[in-house]
Amino acid sequence: MVACTQPRRVAAMSVAQRVAEEMDVELGEEVGYSIRFEDKTSPSTMLKYMTDGMLLREAMHDNNLTRYSTIILDEAHERTLATDILMALLKDVVQRRKDLKLIIMSATLDATKFQKYFLDAPLLAVPGRTHPVEIFYTPSPEKDYVEAALRTVLQIHTIEGEGDILLFLTGEEEIEDACRKINVEVQALISEVDAGPLQVYPLYGTLPPAQQQKIFSPAPPPFKPNGRPGRKCIVSTNIAETSLTIDGIVYVVDPGFSKQKVYNPRIRVESLLVSPISKASAQQRAGRAGRTRPGKCFRLYTEAAFKKELIEQTYPEILRSNLASTVLELKKLGVDDLVHFDLMDPPAPETLMRALEELNYLACLDDEEFYCSNEMLSLTALLSVPQVFVRPANNRKRADEMKDLFAHPKGDHLTLLNVYHAFKGEPAQDNPKQWCHDHFLSYRALQQADNVRLQLKRIMEREEIELMSTPFENNKYYENIQRALVAGFFMQVAKRNGNGKTYITVKDDQNVLLHPSTVLAEDSEWVVYNEFVLTNKNYIRTVTAVKPEWLLDIAPNYYDLDTFKKGEVKNALQRTVNKMMRKEAERGRR
Amino acid sequence: MANTDDEDDYMNMTFEEAPKQETSLQRRARIEREGKDRGYNKSKATLEAEAEAKREAALANALDSTNKGFKMMAKLGFKQGDALGKSGNARKEPIQLSMKDDRGGIGMDSEKKRKFREQMEKAKQETKKAKVEEGDYRERVRQDREEKKNERDFYNAQRTAERLHEQALDLATTNDPQNALASSNPLKDAHVVWRGLLLHRFEKMHDKKQQHELRNNLSARLPAVGDDEEDNDDKIALGCDVDIPFLEDYVDNEDPELEAFNELPFAERLRQAIAYLRERHHYCFWCKYQYPDASMEGCPGIAEEDHD
Repeated sequence: MVACTQPRRVAAMSVAQRVAEEMDVELGEEVGYSIRFEDKTSPSTMLKYMTDGMLLREAMHDNNLTRYSTIILDEAHERTLATDILMALLKDVVQRRKDLKLIIMSATLDATKFQKYFLDAPLLAVPGRTHPVEIFYTPSPEKDYVEAALRTVLQIHTIEGEGDILLFLTGEEEIEDACRKINVEVQALISEVDAGPLQVYPLYGTLPPAQQQKIFSPAPPPFKPNGRPGRKCIVSTNIAETSLTIDGIVYVVDPGFSKQKVYNPRIRVESLLVSPISKASAQQRAGRAGRTRPGKCFRLYTEAAFKKELIEQTYPEILRSNLASTVLELKKLGVDDLVHFDLMDPPAPETLMRALEELNYLACLDDEEFYCSNEMLSLTALLSVPQVFVRPANNRKRADEMKDLFAHPKGDHLTLLNVYHAFKGEPAQDNPKQWCHDHFLSYRALQQADNVRLQLKRIMEREEIELMSTPFENNKYYENIQRALVAGFFMQVAKRNGNGKTYITVKDDQNVLLHPSTVLAEDSEWVVYNEFVLTNKNYIRTVTAVKPEWLLDIAPNYYDLDTFKKGEVKNALQRTVNKMMRKEAERGRR
Repeated sequence: MANTDDEDDYMNMTFEEAPKQETSLQRRARIEREGKDRGYNKSKATLEAEAEAKREAALANALDSTNKGFKMMAKLGFKQGDALGKSGNARKEPIQLSMKDDRGGIGMDSEKKRKFREQMEKAKQETKKAKVEEGDYRERVRQDREEKKNERDFYNAQRTAERLHEQALDLATTNDPQNALASSNPLKDAHVVWRGLLLHRFEKMHDKKQQHELRNNLSARLPAVGDDEEDNDDKIALGCDVDIPFLEDYVDNEDPELEAFNELPFAERLRQAIAYLRERHHYCFWCKYQYPDASMEGCPGIAEEDHD
């Protein structure tokens, strides 16, 4: 069997579909795909498309991947975490299994790096089929890249010939805002300079699929025959750079930024930050203008800045991630010597240090039972999907009022659970779509969470882990959930600073603020948080109140006072220890 | 220890650690401090700056060998300063975090930095230049002032010289009427240091006289009033001066000595005038006193500074 990996689920599915059509076979027979939660293959399958993560999973059970005679790693230049680990594993496997053929497919200019890594394997160049793209730079750096981007789009629409526009911006909010502004300006252009119609579409990952599909609709026709051409303008995140191909794009506007995941082991923060793209990324973006005919790419920076300020290649994901779960996977893959594991780009030693340390603390947990595995299952699912609460710019007040209906004073995790339980309740399930709409909730996100929960539940059943709940009437119901949260997130705890507004993260000692979206009503001195959002203000998002006693009780190794720096956190914990000892003593006396 | 019971370590040198429990005084101080902190609201900017400072501090601090993960890696042969992987040339430092808090385009930051550097450089040069100019200016003002003072002093010295000369002349006339007759041309008699003063005065008189003559010419056509009875004083009162026949003669003959002298800066002219006064009249310009003899006993010196 031949395996072909793709970095994304959608790609695995659509490529399999296309190949099955071209081979005139039924999808799932000779040609199939396998992605998380969905296996569309049969015993007759010869060619299997799959995500790189899926192949990694299979390697855990079969270290030599004996099922496959040929393995193709496609889009290797994207350097996802799974691809990088697969490359290191397979480099080893091909030496053990002489019958295995390994093909690495990469669209990078840096092919020799791959060649060298794979012990001077033969290199085959496949020329692409693209049209020339003329590149324009700005004469001087831009003060405001969004404003410059809007200006450029409107200028293209006014003076350039027929052809659609693709503008790259960084995130949902920025994109929606830009779309609004372009729409307003275009109305003025139409009435003032007789410009043609311009249809603007936003495109980002969390957009519902139906709306994502809209980008493929044809450009509007001119207002009158032989009038100025109509066109569409797609304002997109990075997903239009690689994963989605839109025909008809002739003009690309590239401000040079994207949101990228970053991880720093020193402050243990994994966050999405707006960062300059790489040269390779800029080339990829420009290439999008030349898919159907010669195009133009407007880079909103100077040529000197392109040469000097942009790094050659985007950093591989492995250098930008917390590796705790990866280390666990590697253990399962039979990699014992993590220090000398032959990765193409090994991460900084401190990243591995931090991962091992975190796992060590997790391993030290007692197998305590909190009688709420059901709720924790729901929470895990809820935290794995995009934002559940919808807060449209034109109706924020109403949205906030609706959110308050579910708010639990002890925090956001408990609020999420309330939402989920209400969603699963009878009144909501009568017409869940309408119910979500009325309550300013994302039906899609909740549906997805429900789906993830189901998958996780199956896994737990397979592993024979009992699912249980504390009865809701029991006054320990929420407390048990909070305690279970401590067991899971004891390394993500913050303590309130003296003045009551700022918090300090435990051990890392970072000043943070509660994210404005929190429902946490009570003055809580200690909180667990799900996410550290790094901006010019540091926020912790999705927080729930906890008691310091629980920290000391549930994760005593991590909360060993000797490992703490002098300061407020240590003093407060010391007071808690003293209090606990006093109580213990009193109980002993009685 | 197995033998603890037999041999009690009665001279233990370690001190038991003081109890960590806070005293009531400490507790009160802490509560007070915390209360104060609560009452004091820091500005947003302060909070942001504090958060950033802490973040930078944490980011600059590498995990070290006390880390539990380090110890686990050490078991696999990892040493401080090593890189991971097989090749040995992998990165040793985590990727730098850089926060973007504005919408400046690519290259804007370095452009800003470059501009800032340029401005700093320019400002630096300008202050430097300004200092030089400022120094110049002060020096110029000082020189101007000195020049003016020298000029004033010089004219004073000239007048003194003339006065002393006239005194000497009067004295000589009184003592020796025979010799009293001054030369027909006082300009030639006058020493060069004060000749200019004399010339200037004569020239002025000459101008006046010419104006007077012009007016007289006009009035000549009018009936004249007792012209012949006018004496010299009347003449002066009426604006027509004494005769200065030698002036024309003097002007015609030129005076290279005076011309050369007038070329000299005032400081030098003053110096010469002072020297002349001392030599000729035993007069010290700074003491404002005429000494009886050449020794000029009592005068501290030639220079003005000597008289401070």
